[in-house]
Amino acid sequence: MTLAKFNTLQRENRFKNPPTDKNDIYPLLRDAVQPHIGSFNALTDDNLLNLGVKDIGKKTIFDNNEGIITGNKLKVWVDSVSIAKPSVSPSDKLSLNRKTLPFEARERMITYRSRLLLTLKWTINDSDEHTEVREAGQIPVMLKSNRCHLEKMSPQQLINVKEESDELGGYFIVNGIEKLIRMLIVQRRNHPMAIIRPSFGNRGAAYTKFGIQIRCVRPDQSSQTNVLHYLNDGNVTFRFSWRKNEYLIPVMMIFKALIETNDREIFDGIVGDETNNSFLTDRLELLLRSYKTYQLNGQQETLAYLGDKFRVVFGATPDITDIEVGKEVLQRIVLVHLKNNKDKFRMLLFMIRKLYALVAGDCSPDNPDATQHQEILLPGFLYGMIIKEKIDEYLQNIRLQITSDINRGIGVNFYDKKYMNRVLMRVNENIGQKLQYFLSTGNLVSQSGLDLQQVSGYTVVAEKINFHRFISHFRMVHRGSFFAELKTTTVRKLLPESWGFLCPVHTPDGSPCGLLNHLAHKCKISTIASNVSTVSEVLSRLGMLPADSFAAGPKLCCVQLDGKIIGWTSHKQGKIFADTLRFWKVEGKYNLPLDLEIGYVPPSNKGQYPGLFLFGGHSRMMRPVKYLPLDKQDIVGPFEQVYMDVAVTPEEIENNVHSHVEFSPTNILSILANLTPFSDFNQSPRNMYQCQMGKQTMGTPGTALIHRSDNKLYRLQTGQTPIVKANLYDDYGMDNFPNGMNAIVAVISYTGYDMDDAMIINKSADERGFGYGTVYKVEKIDLSQSRRRGDPITQHFGFGNDEWPEIWKTKLDNDGLPLIGVKVEEGDPILAYYDDTLGKTKVKTYHSSEPGYIEEVKLLGDDSIGEGQQLTIKYRITRQPLIGDKFSSRHGQKGVCSRKWPQIDMPFTESGMQPDVIINPHAFPSRMTIGMFVESLAGKAGALHGIAQDSTPWKFNESDTPADYFGEQLLAAGYNYHGNEPMYSGATGEELRCDIYIGCVYYQRLRHMVNDKFQVRSTGPVNSLTMQPVKGRKRSGGIRVGEMERDALIGHGTAFLLQDRLLNCSDYTQTPICKNCGSILTTQTSVPRIGSMASIRCRRCAISLSNYEGYAQDSEIWEDGHGKKFVGGDDTTTVAIPFVLKYLDSELSAMGIKMKYNVEP
Amino acid sequence: MASSPQREAFQVPASISAAAIGQVTTKSLGVKYNCAQCAASFSLGKNDAIRCKECGHRVIYKARTRRMVQFEAR
Repeated sequence: MTLAKFNTLQRENRFKNPPTDKNDIYPLLRDAVQPHIGSFNALTDDNLLNLGVKDIGKKTIFDNNEGIITGNKLKVWVDSVSIAKPSVSPSDKLSLNRKTLPFEARERMITYRSRLLLTLKWTINDSDEHTEVREAGQIPVMLKSNRCHLEKMSPQQLINVKEESDELGGYFIVNGIEKLIRMLIVQRRNHPMAIIRPSFGNRGAAYTKFGIQIRCVRPDQSSQTNVLHYLNDGNVTFRFSWRKNEYLIPVMMIFKALIETNDREIFDGIVGDETNNSFLTDRLELLLRSYKTYQLNGQQETLAYLGDKFRVVFGATPDITDIEVGKEVLQRIVLVHLKNNKDKFRMLLFMIRKLYALVAGDCSPDNPDATQHQEILLPGFLYGMIIKEKIDEYLQNIRLQITSDINRGIGVNFYDKKYMNRVLMRVNENIGQKLQYFLSTGNLVSQSGLDLQQVSGYTVVAEKINFHRFISHFRMVHRGSFFAELKTTTVRKLLPESWGFLCPVHTPDGSPCGLLNHLAHKCKISTIASNVSTVSEVLSRLGMLPADSFAAGPKLCCVQLDGKIIGWTSHKQGKIFADTLRFWKVEGKYNLPLDLEIGYVPPSNKGQYPGLFLFGGHSRMMRPVKYLPLDKQDIVGPFEQVYMDVAVTPEEIENNVHSHVEFSPTNILSILANLTPFSDFNQSPRNMYQCQMGKQTMGTPGTALIHRSDNKLYRLQTGQTPIVKANLYDDYGMDNFPNGMNAIVAVISYTGYDMDDAMIINKSADERGFGYGTVYKVEKIDLSQSRRRGDPITQHFGFGNDEWPEIWKTKLDNDGLPLIGVKVEEGDPILAYYDDTLGKTKVKTYHSSEPGYIEEVKLLGDDSIGEGQQLTIKYRITRQPLIGDKFSSRHGQKGVCSRKWPQIDMPFTESGMQPDVIINPHAFPSRMTIGMFVESLAGKAGALHGIAQDSTPWKFNESDTPADYFGEQLLAAGYNYHGNEPMYSGATGEELRCDIYIGCVYYQRLRHMVNDKFQVRSTGPVNSLTMQPVKGRKRSGGIRVGEMERDALIGHGTAFLLQDRLLNCSDYTQTPICKNCGSILTTQTSVPRIGSMASIRCRRCAISLSNYEGYAQDSEIWEDGHGKKFVGGDDTTTVAIPFVLKYLDSELSAMGIKMKYNVEP
Repeated sequence: MASSPQREAFQVPASISAAAIGQVTTKSLGVKYNCAQCAASFSLGKNDAIRCKECGHRVIYKARTRRMVQFEAR
């Protein structure tokens, strides 16, 4: 057993003297956010943005679009893109510090952003090149990226700029809110996948369920998916989507257009030497023959045909020939990860052969839900794709602007610098604003859809409830919101392929279960492509046949590198290649990159299509394991792992079976799952619950809290380091963010107040500060909100010279702002301001039933020079543990505090110990959280000996049990070996009949507290339309007695209770009704006259006095509010109805339907 | 702090009940503010722009009151 350490002094010293070395940080924490920061850095370091604008190309515009004469030709393109570092605007002359730092963005609730600069170039008639640097707005910048001021700061420097000492970055600040782009699971790039999907058959008459799908990724990381469909006559069509429209092309046309080829070459490339395979030859014959109907001969004719068809779709200008358009189609659509047409041709041949193998049943379909065929769409790359698309849109807008100028008859002159400036002025250049919209809403506004399946839900708020929650955001991968709506649960399944890459424990229960996963803590994502330049040469030297050899089909081993066929070999040789490559790359020979993924798929009987597939690109999941032949670290990916033998523990290694061994079995768990102590002793769902509850704990969000302005922040005042902790707890620096308290827990049924997962807290422990917490709430007040843009300021902070109540001064200072530290209760003034238009001093009041204390008042300046209009007030709300607050241990054992029991009445042990917490023994049998027992035991032994205990899972086994290990320690301290102790009743002093299991367990206080939840109402606000109680806790509304509750009341026969809930406490109304005509809408009160009371009359049954025939006595005549006189209609009475009935009646009468009620006495 | 401002002497509350309910006896005081960036202490006029007088930073904290704030701890 390795021992855990407390490291109290080191930690204290680190807080007192933060390191000045920028590398003196927690390396594991840095690695955790690396996929985010690395991918963002690649935009500029790896030139992804510049590659993107190169791919966009040049836009051609003519100044005359009528007839054949085209006029002057203008070519516009963006030559390069750069992102500056965040700084104050140049017009600001007052700021000494020209850098904008993240803390300012958080406090002022603005965006941490920097300028996006585009080098725009244009030529006129292919000469006369102009260059202009355009500022395309300010784009939000990722913290700690290479565009952020914090990038290379040491902890000491970070503290100086008001950050956490171990700020991780990886997120954006948008309008003061920390946002991050979440990682998405997408199809593995550049690898053709065999898919059987019934919906493929819906595309047309001959279409079948068979298809080959490949997601090709361009060098700038944008992607284009190509699909080959199998038609039931054996033909194959090529499908792609472009700008959200689908297009289908016969695959033969693409073959013919790619290179100058012939039918023989295509036949050989697909069939190879298997000419006696009639399944293949039949289909090939049809494929080749059916194409003859197009009557296209040669590459040029085919290209011209393609170009003609796609000219409009691609918006080609008249100066480009059809052939050139055809070439552009191939370049932009077909297998875009390959540059060379010959390579595309070969890959397409391979894909068709795989399709035929799939149809024939020679190979199995690939599972798109398996990690083997997945990769991660990284935040930075997605961000880059959006920037690229917005730049493309910008260039299109320039074209549109010029065309509209021509159409409007405005003098278009490309040579005139003034005109060009006018065009650029009128085009919306603010790309930064669009990115800010993307980050703040998570909605993707895109012409092309970016080859992605969803349009929203790309970003989430990086909530800082506690550190567990915060760090988990960065390790979270989502399957895509498309799958969330899927009825089938296959996508949610935990597959063995994800071993070591996705954590099997850390996924929420409920609707996102299995879709929202977390990366295993050692799983890395490649953010830069590895150098694979030598791979091809090394393999050739090993005897690989070149790519253009006569070879095809699954009988031979196709060697592919990042989706490019680099050669062929036999399967026997392929295995040797794979093993040799692996040995060499681990050894570091021939410049082979260590993270090269060597996916050797062996030939099998109807298994996965065989071959040797090498990957060295971006976005792959990777993890370290030990390579046994060299006893060195190897990096493996999910594609190859399926065919590898990785032992979990060294003891498990079998000779000639295992090539690798895990460094530690805990590598398969996520950060949070690793922190659950002795999780290997728990029933597995309990560990999932703990992963959820760890993220809802009232813990320590950070130390730089005064420089934050989160809407709501939870803080545990007396957090402790757990006595029982996994060693990874320290490696991740979790002690900087304590999340709970060590509590002495007795498992005993003692008070009767501990049924159903209730727990009892020792009142004295509570008074000593056990579980004491604080909530910070921030309210932003913006006086300019009521004012329209451009209007002068009419409201000013502070008191005016008019008369105002002197009592305001008890809470407010001379400046009209609250006194720091003062207590405010509901209705108290928190701010005074003078309104010019009213000429009066007014106050804003505190709106919360809970009293708070003014913690901070921050005045926020804006870009204008005028007086301030914005400020934030931070309230501190004390939250001592109350009855009804939620607590949990780290084993998914949550409970609600039911009593604070006086210490004198608590049971005590022989040494006089009294528990802080009492839980009921019934919490255990069904839940089987043995880990909690072990933790209790370990915590007790640790506390007695003053040592920390390592709780890493899989450290014990059947022969070496924790009960023995910690039992011995307890014995050495003079305690019972099993952790039981005799206890005495606190009330009577008598010894309890049995020994009580008492130990030390780390308890978390969850953020769900009664003060935020309780909802009571007897009477209160009602909906004015229905007169029924409103809903919502905030509005002091009621809780609905719904249909099911109604059913239960009926079932119990509690008719009066039912009436009370549904009528008396709801919209009970008394209303007059006319017995004669049975209407409740026509009754009204008559105007009282002298000598008689007002009476209820039915206006419908009454007769107007003017129409009344005969004599009416004075007492019979009544008058309505307008002075009209009536006789009769006095057959009315009063009934009790629900008010909605009246509403229903009037709605129906509006439709011309009369409701008549028969009233009997 | 370079120039420590005149510290106000503690005043015995006139009546304990006023202090008990968390009220503060009002007395005119110039309100001090601190810059969020450079921690400079200064006071602001009524129509001043919200800028640090030293470094031009645009977030300013109101300083904690020098008056006694007392609550009944019950």
